[in-house]
Amino acid sequence: MSSLVRHRWTLATALLVPLLVLAAPAPLRLAGVPPCWAVLWLLPWALVDGPLTGAVAGLGLGVLLDGLHPGFITQAPALTLLGWWWGRLGRRSPPIERSFNLGLLALLGAALQGGAIWLQQLWWGETHGAGLHTLLAQTLLTGLLAPLVCSLQLLLWRQLVPGLRT
Amino acid sequence: MALQGRGLRLPSRRLVTLAWPWLLLLLIFTAVRLSKGAAVIDAYALLTRPFWPGSAQSEWLTAAQQLDRQARLQQLETDNQRLRQLLDLDRADAGVVSAPVISRQAQGWWQQLVLGRGSLQGLSPGDAVIAPGGLLGRVASVTPTTASVLLLTDPSSRIGVWVGRAQRHGLLVGVGTSRPLLRFIDQDVGVRPGDVVSTSPASTLLPPNLTIGVVQSVNERAVPAPEAVVQLSAPVDAVDWVQVRLVRP
Repeated sequence: MSSLVRHRWTLATALLVPLLVLAAPAPLRLAGVPPCWAVLWLLPWALVDGPLTGAVAGLGLGVLLDGLHPGFITQAPALTLLGWWWGRLGRRSPPIERSFNLGLLALLGAALQGGAIWLQQLWWGETHGAGLHTLLAQTLLTGLLAPLVCSLQLLLWRQLVPGLRT
Repeated sequence: MALQGRGLRLPSRRLVTLAWPWLLLLLIFTAVRLSKGAAVIDAYALLTRPFWPGSAQSEWLTAAQQLDRQARLQQLETDNQRLRQLLDLDRADAGVVSAPVISRQAQGWWQQLVLGRGSLQGLSPGDAVIAPGGLLGRVASVTPTTASVLLLTDPSSRIGVWVGRAQRHGLLVGVGTSRPLLRFIDQDVGVRPGDVVSTSPASTLLPPNLTIGVVQSVNERAVPAPEAVVQLSAPVDAVDWVQVRLVRP
């Protein structure tokens, strides 16, 4: 059985995540809040490639994104956990590929990641007056975009990398 | 008897008839005198309105006033610079660099900008970033070609500020919304909505007297000290170019 991680160029697509975070395209924002791009990339990756590479990809992506923001708040633990969880879910059969399932998983993932950031801000004594607004907007937008974005990624990887688990 | 008869005699009807126009005129003159000629001046203004000076005169006056203000401002800035040097507060400007905004995250978990200028252009952490309207934030980190700016609205942003009218220092704390919170140390601060918030005149970390915003509301009951909500004067969502004030270490 083939693996995504053996095709290094698929890993390079993760670089699109920080670029999209920095670009923050205005049409893809809800009430000014962008979606959680890391979740949208990590979900199909982990579903296809399993818990170990899912967790490692989540960790790497989290460390990469932490470098873009000032302060001590990190996204790495939440993304590692999500990569591992989604990797385990991907090992089950039948494979998760329905739009509703992908949307729901992305919704939960964005809520977990946003909640982790919010808790860390509270821990460091930073008051975030718009925390709930940001959490809700980001979670909802990520859940809405996931059926389209994640389905396309799953389809693309299965077409470009033959022998992937389906 | 003869004198008594002359004293009680009333003026004749003919005399009164002749004198009343003069009395009326005297009354009018008295009224004009007491009103400082208001009616006369108003009448004069009404009659001469077509001959009043045109708008050109007014524009000349306005231009002259602006020139006068600019000259005074320049003089005050020179004086201010000299006095600050005397007080050894001259962490003077090493220049201003204009920088394009290449990434903007004004809402979300972080509030920051990325500028298209970096250490190669002389930027360093701590430099003040200014937009039309006032201070936006401070440079948090730099690469050779870019600089990350921590906006005043970011939850981790904290800077000391000055409310000029009330002569009070405060701490401007970002809370993740577009309106940061101004926290005071004293109980009775006397700050009210409309007060202008600026950087401290004695600041050595930031350029002094930079406008930051206007107090929108004050919560006198906040514990342990009053708090105020500040509306920032620089529009972070609209600026595409900013100025970075470089400071000598």
